[in-house]
Amino acid sequence: MYYVAQVIRDECTKYNCKQCTLFCPEPNTLMYTDETHHAYVLTERCKGCALCVYVCSNLLKRDSIEMVYAENRDVAGVR
Amino acid sequence: MSFNIFKINEDLKEFMPPEIVDLEEKATWGNPKRGVMDLPYSKELLEEHSLCAGCPESAAFRYILASLPNPEETIIVNSTGCTSLVFPHIALHTVHSLFGNQNAIASGIKRVLEWRFPDKVKDVIVLAGDGATVDIGLDCTLQSFFRQEKITTICFDNEVYANTGGQESGLTVKGHVFKMAPKGKQWDKVPIWQIAIDSGCHYVARLTVSSPKKVEKVIKQAIYVAREVGPTYVHLYTPCILEIGLNSDDGLEEMRRTDKERFKFFEYMTDEAKEVIQRKKEEGLI
Ligand SMILES: Cc1ncc(C[n+]2csc(CCOP(=O)(O)OP(=O)(O)O)c2C)c(N)n1
Ligand code: SF4
Ligand code: SF4
Ligand code: SF4
Ligand SMILES: [Mg+2]
Repeated sequence: MYYVAQVIRDECTKYNCKQCTLFCPEPNTLMYTDETHHAYVLTERCKGCALCVYVCSNLLKRDSIEMVYAENRDVAGVR
Repeated sequence: MSFNIFKINEDLKEFMPPEIVDLEEKATWGNPKRGVMDLPYSKELLEEHSLCAGCPESAAFRYILASLPNPEETIIVNSTGCTSLVFPHIALHTVHSLFGNQNAIASGIKRVLEWRFPDKVKDVIVLAGDGATVDIGLDCTLQSFFRQEKITTICFDNEVYANTGGQESGLTVKGHVFKMAPKGKQWDKVPIWQIAIDSGCHYVARLTVSSPKKVEKVIKQAIYVAREVGPTYVHLYTPCILEIGLNSDDGLEEMRRTDKERFKFFEYMTDEAKEVIQRKKEEGLI
């Protein structure tokens, strides 16, 4: 049982941001789609470090990404 | 090595792992203007690796690999350490040298490539930890500077021998205690960025990896200057969160804190380097 990141899609689309995608330490793990304008997590690559939450909540005050139990995540990685 | 190495036979494509297909279709090749702003969309030249969750070295790898102006013709030489756990997962030509020998190996590779492919631009980059660069490999590091080898040396300074469990290095700060340095370090941190200037480097920069765009700019400048003028040195603070007792989400905060003090951005360039950088800026490449 471990945590992974999950983007809160309805919140993230309010901003044209992408910041967390740059600060996630893992390659091709936190990506961005211009089609629906939000970041998304490739859960199987996520190491659960929570740096994305630090960037989004602590630095940017946008609260658009959260840590969830891997078992409870939305299968598409977004919700 | 060329981009063609990643071109997959159409008949075999359906059997290839998706990451390999992505390397052909979604990685950024043949574009010297590539950079960290490709990261949210493109296939990176890096795959999953075993560094600790939240390790700033991982982020540094992403920025450096995204910023190489000429990845298809770049050879990266590395040494042993946490960095070497990443090298098997890089989609470029890399060479793992004996610990400490990295700058000697890179010098030889660069010289042979210049002789063998006089019409091609080949970038040779060294990427190694602080122990490899400043302790065990100091001789080779400095000799490559003295001899004006046209290579870029990047040091991942985490201020410790991380891969072997926490011994002090020349770049550990005075007084710091590690698991295997229980009395605390007795001497000052080696000012290797200053030694690099005194030893003949034409471009030197010292920074943390808290700003991806700044890392991109520095890496591009260092590579362009090394191509035309001589040795360049980039010193990156990539704290070992494990050995200094931080949580996995603390690395960025630690770097942002030290951005204002010990690792305040510092840059040096000779007149020849300035000319190259100015020209590349005018060409829109930096
Ligand atoms: C010739 C040789 N001596 C010693 C070692 C053992 N060794 C492996 S990694 C390492 C420390 C690496 O420290 P550093 O270069 O700072 O990289 P880090 O792991 O901190 O990223 C040492 C001493 C080795 N592999 N080869
Ligand atoms: S930092 Fe937050 S708002 Fe910005 S892209 Fe990431 S999840 Fe969205
Ligand atoms: S928890 Fe860490 S590894 Fe996972 S998406 Fe966030 S920053 Fe990336
Ligand atoms: S031991 Fe330190 S430097 Fe090595 S991967 Fe872990 S956090 Fe990074
Ligand atoms: Mg080290």
